[in-house]
Amino acid sequence: MWRWTQILVAGGALGSFYALVALGFSLIFGVTHAFNLAYGEFILLSGYLAYFLWKSWGLPFYGTIPVCLVVMPGAALLLHLFLRRVRSPFEINSLVATFGLALVLQNLMLALFSADYRLIQPEAFPFLHLPATGLTITDKQFGLLTFSLAATLLVHLLLRHTFLGKALRATIQEREAAELAGINVNRMGWLAFAFGGLLIGLAGPMYGQTMYIYPAGGVEATLIAITITIFAGVGRTRSLLLGGWLVGLAEAAAAMWLGGSWKELVSALLLITLLVVRPSGLAGRDGNHKP
Amino acid sequence: MEIANPGCRSAKSWPRVNSGRLQLSFRRSGLLQIILVLFVIMFAGSVGAGGKEVIRLGEINPLTGHLAQHGQEIHQGVVYAVEEVNAQGGIQGRPVKLCSRDDQSRPEIALNQAQELIFREKIAGLVGGYVDSLVAPVSELAARYQVPYVASASLQQALTRQRRNPYFFRVSRLDGIVEPLSRFIDEKLKARRVAILHIATPGSTEFAASLRDNLSKVGIAVPLLEKCRAGSRDFSTFLLKVKQAGVDILVSGGFYPDNLILVRQWREMRLPLKALVAPWGVAYQSFISTLGRASEGLLGMCAWNPGITWPGTEAASCRFVQGFRQRFGQEPNTTTMHGYTSARALLLALAQLASRAEPLTGPALSQALRKLEVVLPMEHLKFDEYGDPLYYRQVVVQIQQGRMVVVYPPERAKGWLPTAPSLAE
Repeated sequence: MWRWTQILVAGGALGSFYALVALGFSLIFGVTHAFNLAYGEFILLSGYLAYFLWKSWGLPFYGTIPVCLVVMPGAALLLHLFLRRVRSPFEINSLVATFGLALVLQNLMLALFSADYRLIQPEAFPFLHLPATGLTITDKQFGLLTFSLAATLLVHLLLRHTFLGKALRATIQEREAAELAGINVNRMGWLAFAFGGLLIGLAGPMYGQTMYIYPAGGVEATLIAITITIFAGVGRTRSLLLGGWLVGLAEAAAAMWLGGSWKELVSALLLITLLVVRPSGLAGRDGNHKP
Repeated sequence: MEIANPGCRSAKSWPRVNSGRLQLSFRRSGLLQIILVLFVIMFAGSVGAGGKEVIRLGEINPLTGHLAQHGQEIHQGVVYAVEEVNAQGGIQGRPVKLCSRDDQSRPEIALNQAQELIFREKIAGLVGGYVDSLVAPVSELAARYQVPYVASASLQQALTRQRRNPYFFRVSRLDGIVEPLSRFIDEKLKARRVAILHIATPGSTEFAASLRDNLSKVGIAVPLLEKCRAGSRDFSTFLLKVKQAGVDILVSGGFYPDNLILVRQWREMRLPLKALVAPWGVAYQSFISTLGRASEGLLGMCAWNPGITWPGTEAASCRFVQGFRQRFGQEPNTTTMHGYTSARALLLALAQLASRAEPLTGPALSQALRKLEVVLPMEHLKFDEYGDPLYYRQVVVQIQQGRMVVVYPPERAKGWLPTAPSLAE
């Protein structure tokens, strides 16, 4: 019983981490159709900012998050400014442009921060430890669960319960129709990048704390974001968290019963099966987009 | 009426055929100039300041990508060795030029870079390389084109034992890690049950199998041997299995970043283990400073570190540390020393050939490497018939008060803490 609970906690925390990394990508891609291959590098930049604030300035880990929340939307808006110059076909060209940008950012980070692996807040504190049962929930697992739930809830409230959210959803669902209905889709693009930047600002420090950061690590973050976004369906915030949890739990279960080397294979099989059975994502019906 | 002016002929009056010849001659002279410039550049590139022909040394390392940290460390060691030789006047007065290439932590790029170094740069020999997946393709190429390659960090036994490759040498070997570690686990830790985690790389996989065999021979059970992908994000489920298996020692064959996550999660889960031993990744000052208190009591392995040197090489080791600090403004580590040792081996073999006025051909250099015997800070270096180093032995170190203390073998031990302190205490 407690062993199952421990696997649930491990898988849930890992899935929350995946969802947190994917949230910003999903929102930006949904609204602007910009296939941002430099997304992971932006998460790393946010992670490096948090790392140096924590390491050099002595800021507590949770104190670094507000600074990243202020800085990263600016960086995301600069990216939007850069992508506005990309000609049509926008999806393909944005992919090529951001691939180049990712390479530039990787080399820039290598020059600025060296190739060393960095880890934020390595001190170990169990959040909950029940010696009689053997159940342990670490503070990092608790932080990941809390932050991913909070971020998903806030994005959901924004999209479902505000006028601005309705406009953003309309742009995600049918860009041309939204434009005909009088929605300024260009402004929606700016807003999506700003909100995406906020989510990157949150995901970066959590990434640096959960994983380690190094200049070439952005590729992995981008892959996580793309996989979970495809898994959940573009622009679906709640199913993004659900998808993250499913992948996390599948990986934890595979590691437990099959072995650590099977984790990636099991999550890949899960993704392929889902794409065959439900091509529009986890929570969506084909042809009926409901973010 | 047109006035004839023999001194000032109009353009019209130039015969067409002459114009064509002129253009042709200009083209020819332009081409000749370009060829001349290229020749001068090529000639200047192969001749040093003193007019002596430059000896070219090739180096391939993962300078970017996921292995960049260790690739950069090896690169610094190689650069330092070459600069040291050049500062002493080169090899028989001939300067050494290092041609460095980045394999981006990808085997196919390593292969392309090696081809470029062999065919275009005409290098005398190759050094560098981190992990067998990057070293193996380059070693094959070295054999095919008879260019000696001294790998800085390679362990897979098949590379030297499965097929004889007279052009492949390396400064590390698996037995030099597994043998002292097995003895340490048996004699010092007095373990009964051991769990082994390894990465899906050839070297780490062979390490795990070899360690399990050695431990089984002395009656130590290995109830859990698990493989995982390098760069795993979560080890909590694996640690749960470690707990269920009831082991007293955990050996991690993971790399530096894997151990960062594993050690932290082990501490967080308060898993009752007598010790966690990790041959790779722990014996680094940067690892200790990154993990802080969580690194206390951890056991790692290294072939060299500042203050931990091959007996009798203390002065040379000290000189290296001081020179390295001056050159790069940072501390060298065991990986740096692997790069330095591999480059020194190749440079010493080249120097021996040059002193005998022998041509610096691949077969001659391979023979010189085979006969080489030298005591360096990391090891007493002599290659066996397969190209493996005969006397390579790592020591077991324990992190005590933020410092690495040698705890095994007994003749080199400086201290010992019986168990890893619990952070909960």
